[in-house]
Amino acid sequence: MTPRRRGSIVANGVALLACFFFLFPVYWMVVTAFKPSGDIQLPTPKFFPAPFTLQHFVDGINKYHFWANARSSVIITFSVVGLSMALAFFAATALARFRFRGRKLFIVLLLVVQMVPFEAMLIPIFIELDRAGLVYQLTGVILAYMAFALPFTIWTLRGFVASVPVDLEEAALTDGCTRTQAFIRILFPLIAPGLVATSIFAFIQAWNEYIFANVLLNNENATLPVWLASFVSMGTQIDWGGIMAGSTIISLPVMIFFVLVQRRIAQGMTAGAVKG
Amino acid sequence: MQHVTSAAPATALTAPAGRRSPLFRRRRRATVVPWYVPYLMLAPGAIALGAAVVFPFAYLVAISFQQFRARELIQDLPTVWVGLANYRYIVAKPEFWTVLSRTLIFAGVNVALTIGIGMGLALLLQRLGGRMRLALSISMVLAWSIPPVSATQIWQWLFDRDFGVVNWVLTSVGLRGFTQHSWLSDPTSLLGLATVIVVWGALPFVALVLYAGLSQVPDDLYEAARVDGANAWATFRQVSLPLIAPIVLVLALLSTIWDFRVFTQIFVLQKSGGISEDTNLIGIWSYHQSFGGSPNYGRGAATAFIGVVILLMITAVVVRRMVRIGDES
Amino acid sequence: MKKQNVVVGVVAVALALVAAACGNASTAGAPKADTGPLTVWLMNGSAPDPVISALKTEFEAAHPGVTVNVQLQQWGGITDKTNAALSTQSPPDVLEMGNTLVSGFASAGGLADLTGKQASLGSDTWLQSLKEAGTLDGKLYGVPYYAGDRVVIYNKDLFAKAGITAPPTTRDELMTDGKLLMAANKSVPGFSALYLPGKDWYAIFSWVFDSLGGIATKSGSKWQGTMEDPATQAALSWVKDMRSAVGTAAGDGLETTDDPTFEAGKAAMVIEAGWHYGVIAKDKPALKDQLGVFPIPGASQAAPVFLGGSNLGIAAKSKHQGLAYDYIKLLAGSKYQTQLAVQGGVIPNTTTLLNLHASDPVLSVADKAAARSWFVPNSPNWAAVESNNILQDMLAKIFTGKASVADATKAADQALADKLNQ
Repeated sequence: MTPRRRGSIVANGVALLACFFFLFPVYWMVVTAFKPSGDIQLPTPKFFPAPFTLQHFVDGINKYHFWANARSSVIITFSVVGLSMALAFFAATALARFRFRGRKLFIVLLLVVQMVPFEAMLIPIFIELDRAGLVYQLTGVILAYMAFALPFTIWTLRGFVASVPVDLEEAALTDGCTRTQAFIRILFPLIAPGLVATSIFAFIQAWNEYIFANVLLNNENATLPVWLASFVSMGTQIDWGGIMAGSTIISLPVMIFFVLVQRRIAQGMTAGAVKG
Repeated sequence: MQHVTSAAPATALTAPAGRRSPLFRRRRRATVVPWYVPYLMLAPGAIALGAAVVFPFAYLVAISFQQFRARELIQDLPTVWVGLANYRYIVAKPEFWTVLSRTLIFAGVNVALTIGIGMGLALLLQRLGGRMRLALSISMVLAWSIPPVSATQIWQWLFDRDFGVVNWVLTSVGLRGFTQHSWLSDPTSLLGLATVIVVWGALPFVALVLYAGLSQVPDDLYEAARVDGANAWATFRQVSLPLIAPIVLVLALLSTIWDFRVFTQIFVLQKSGGISEDTNLIGIWSYHQSFGGSPNYGRGAATAFIGVVILLMITAVVVRRMVRIGDES
Repeated sequence: MKKQNVVVGVVAVALALVAAACGNASTAGAPKADTGPLTVWLMNGSAPDPVISALKTEFEAAHPGVTVNVQLQQWGGITDKTNAALSTQSPPDVLEMGNTLVSGFASAGGLADLTGKQASLGSDTWLQSLKEAGTLDGKLYGVPYYAGDRVVIYNKDLFAKAGITAPPTTRDELMTDGKLLMAANKSVPGFSALYLPGKDWYAIFSWVFDSLGGIATKSGSKWQGTMEDPATQAALSWVKDMRSAVGTAAGDGLETTDDPTFEAGKAAMVIEAGWHYGVIAKDKPALKDQLGVFPIPGASQAAPVFLGGSNLGIAAKSKHQGLAYDYIKLLAGSKYQTQLAVQGGVIPNTTTLLNLHASDPVLSVADKAAARSWFVPNSPNWAAVESNNILQDMLAKIFTGKASVADATKAADQALADKLNQ
């Protein structure tokens, strides 16, 4: 489908510049993480960490409750992503495939909710969780995160579903499938790339979120962004090497995951969603 | 598994005439089902939404009309309704309008750059060979993985007045004026740097989505255009663009919402230099009015909704189109 | 007779039942022991772990059956987190709070009134500023925990090379010495005798308070900014002149660039908390022997310093107020204050322990400087002033030349009044 050329000199040149633009800050972060503290801010910048130290990483992993926090982050993020995918798939299909009373209002509300800054909901969500006895527990945070994951996911998946022609499901129905089977067997695989796209979004947001995690969790329960914040103590004492090492550690799982699925991202981002 | 574009309606799978199920009639889009089915499917999602979103949202609306500060929260005091007082407080502040217009300009520039450059990158990805395309995709994806706070800090360092790489490079190539040049003292410069950071973080998603969209355009359409003698620009304008227009609109809508609400990047930069009252955007300014230190949650809620109203006004046209998806056949 | 016996019997049984039922609650003076658990919120980086662990062990031994649950909190977003927690039915029992935040929580009703207990906690020897910070409307809500202040860290080598034999003790001497240093280091690009970034208001306001200027005062129930006072304006003008004469730091810069600038040899003096001495020595071992400290020089004596630090409070809704009081009594008492000061290098909360660091060249200077201190206006709305960067913006405008001292202070006073009186 895409023109198979080697690419002109101009195209490759521009691409190289673009690569540099995207990669240099990443490089700087990683390099800083390996520099001894005295080398981090110099009048003549050092582009390579020489001398080289692993101390920031070692200190970082021993700081606060790193492993417990990592575990929390994984549990929360995967739960949020998994739950929103499952719930959103059916909700989005209902919205896209059927006409029913309240549909338009629902869609508009989904959009309006996305326009409210998530942090503004901190106190209302806290109050609700407190009444439900879910503060300082992982479940409470998972529920809170659904507030930003669900609307976006339903709303986006709806577009994907809408652009898959109904005929395929209808054919399945005439072949004797129940509606549910048609949805799961026909529709689901077709919008799987769309699910990948929205899940990556929910993943990044949940993985990096600090404010709610900090208010709603304590100690071992807390997540990696809270752990990262522990590198800053008392205002002016900022351990830059530590922060960059911490940032590298936090970004690593996301980076690895992305590189693995990047082809799927590019391929599937809008599979079938050309219609909108 | 076929990916179908709006240009080519699906005709491949039509049910044989004699096997129609009594429960449905063949229509282009809408199907007739028992009335409860859609609601049943919506139910689990709706329940989760109810707990996670509806209650807090309704509560937020309510407190925007109340006097609700830390005191009311902690002591569980009886509700005090103050009508539109919170809203009036915000809108009556002279800086509100300055901050608002500054934010609109900032968001406008950011959205334009993100979509424009994103489209350019998508077209570039189309024209590259396999290896270079992979390299560029991976570079973008690595940039996207860095948490926004860390990313902003790194960019601030690169542009630091005394220790930044950028100043050092510029000075080394002879531009003496850039020794200890502050990129944050001038408000436009600070917001410009913030734009670079925001766009840098937003491009990967936009470029990759647009690229995928472009990949869906059937080859024969390109072929036809080539045969007709169209150059690259005309091909783009008349073949590619119309087909991916819906995707562009969705991305523009999302970008507008996000760029309007930019907080982190400005916050981190403001700490390192410049005069904050000259660079506050609506996200930061609202935060200061309502939360910084002595929290007034009622006011914070009112500010959030003022923002929603403004966003709805800006995006009205696109939103209307989005809602109608699936209505037309 | 029998009927009477029965009645007596019934009454006796009834009384016995009532006695049994009320027994637990009504036995005056001997309530059932509180078994906690005791939840304690401490801030990240405040106290060394060994000190807190030792305290936990001692506390649990003295209160059998009670577990102490220490939870470390991050500074980012702590106000929201604390307000939310104080509103629940089981808030943290003991909480450490940054001293500028105490009055906010107190005024919202989140903290227990400890006025009655202050004498037994040692209030007569507390450092004055710390006590002020923990007091609102005459009532004590936050027990002084520890403090930190700023000193001038200087490079002895550079001083010697410029011909300066002793560190300055007055601000005029500071100006003279600064000019000598600038002249001696003309060849070093970007050199500052005193590297003082413009937004470092904690350091700069030492001179304002030294000149008897101030930030804001309360008359009746209304706050009024005092930036426009002649004393304040004069001090700020002096700082402006001093900054341009003896340094090249950014007018809108932050003190976070102090250490790297000093380590790069581009600054002969920086104003920082005493423990930065250790940070610089660790980052650049070559500089270690050249480091010295002296108090910030005021007009005729050491200038008052800002006393940062934390206070300890008890949540108003806490169900373990007795245990919480015991914990605070320990932590704020001499034994652990001594450990804190010695192991953590902080200034203890009482004047009786200020000699602990007498043999430490850096900390002894810091401790002595704490004798003369200033603090922010004790308003529950103070945190809003800080979060809105009112003072930092004012200083940046003055030092980058965007506004005159008169105009900038006028705008600041208006903003102060607006925020403090809301």
